[in-house]
Amino acid sequence: MSDKAPKDSEQHAAEADVEAFEDDLGPFVIAAETTRMPMVFTDARERDHPIIFANDAFLKLTGYDRDEVLAQRFDFLLAAGTDAGRAEIEAGFADDSDDNLEICMRRKDGSALWASLFVNAVRDEAGEVVQHFVSLVDESRHHAAQDHAEMLIEELNHRVKNTLATVQAIVAQAVRNHSEPSIMRESIESRIGALSRSHDLLSHEKWGSAGLHDLVTTALEPFSVVNGHSDRFGIEGENVRLSPKAALALGIAFHELATNAVKYGALSNEAGSVSVTWSMQSEPDGRWLCLHWRENDGPPVAPPSRRGFGSRVIEQGLAHELGGKVTLDYRAKGIVCAIHVPAPHVANEG
Amino acid sequence: MLVLMAIEDMMSDLGAESVTAAATVEQALKLISARHFDFAMLDINRDGIRSDPVANALGADSVPFAFSTGYGNHFVEGAHGEQPILRKPYNRTNLTQIVNQMFPG
Repeated sequence: MSDKAPKDSEQHAAEADVEAFEDDLGPFVIAAETTRMPMVFTDARERDHPIIFANDAFLKLTGYDRDEVLAQRFDFLLAAGTDAGRAEIEAGFADDSDDNLEICMRRKDGSALWASLFVNAVRDEAGEVVQHFVSLVDESRHHAAQDHAEMLIEELNHRVKNTLATVQAIVAQAVRNHSEPSIMRESIESRIGALSRSHDLLSHEKWGSAGLHDLVTTALEPFSVVNGHSDRFGIEGENVRLSPKAALALGIAFHELATNAVKYGALSNEAGSVSVTWSMQSEPDGRWLCLHWRENDGPPVAPPSRRGFGSRVIEQGLAHELGGKVTLDYRAKGIVCAIHVPAPHVANEG
Repeated sequence: MLVLMAIEDMMSDLGAESVTAAATVEQALKLISARHFDFAMLDINRDGIRSDPVANALGADSVPFAFSTGYGNHFVEGAHGEQPILRKPYNRTNLTQIVNQMFPG
């Protein structure tokens, strides 16, 4: 905060000019003083266009007191060291064109202020320019919105690239592992379907996060009626919030687990079922999501001699992607998959 | 996640004996100091964190590498500007070309 200096003669002269000006113009002055449009008058006969009148709206916009502004050169509002702005302002005062200037200025508290300036010359009876009248429009919101839009577009591009790369990986995998075209197609379609369902869930929440309960339900929905029986899943846990990355990775993992269950596990016979349960745990190194996928009453299980792609995704891919821990335990009565995901990929609801 | 596994498979198909992946700069640096790799692929930045320390470590260990990026016009400045850049989605042909260039025969 600066100390208020005693008024000097320049300032007195400026205020005298304004008073004379007010006396001449009556209602217009009241309008200029009370309008919500920030406005200043500057003296065109002095160097550097000193401010001789500033309305309340201008003071409110810039954060200055009236006596801090009167008699100051107009471009004192520019951030220090911005010669470009200075030149633009000078050009704006010099010509009478309809172009408006957009300048970045500083408020009293130092914060940036993007404003459009509309400068008009005020002439006397002889046609000489005696003053300039400047009105300002605050463009801060507009600039913030533009910056935000650019960021969103950048993010969108990034997401699309990643999605295409994932689809390509899905196709490559199917082609590499299967020679039978119908099996290849089934593999591709079902994985792309899983990816798409995760996307839908995230889109619904504007890609901020997804609820785990919603994700499990959605991912298992295509498997809900299998071998003529519905209700083969028992799902229990809070709708904790997942990061987009975690939602996509877990969506794929659940898809792989369910696919394997249909092919070899608890969904491959009529009696088997799957329970999916989870809770949040506090460990010394932070909060963790602990989820268990347990298969029951399926055919007897023996560990496979070769890990299929789906198992690789679950045991290695998922842990790597989220910095978590995953174990796949081929117990005789049904596989148990334990998935541990660390914060920041997961947070409590609300 | 699937993309990483697809790359592992591609490298395997191109004759790699083993493929190791690191999810963070710290993990990568640990791996690099533990053993000498023949080749590396490096995301230019991931989740907002640039991978320069890893590029430097690879350079110091004389490990040839290629950058990978999801962004359109990505320019690499400075010490590693000469390394090849692979754009996502990866093209098997491009990757094959790059690997063949670095390991002729």
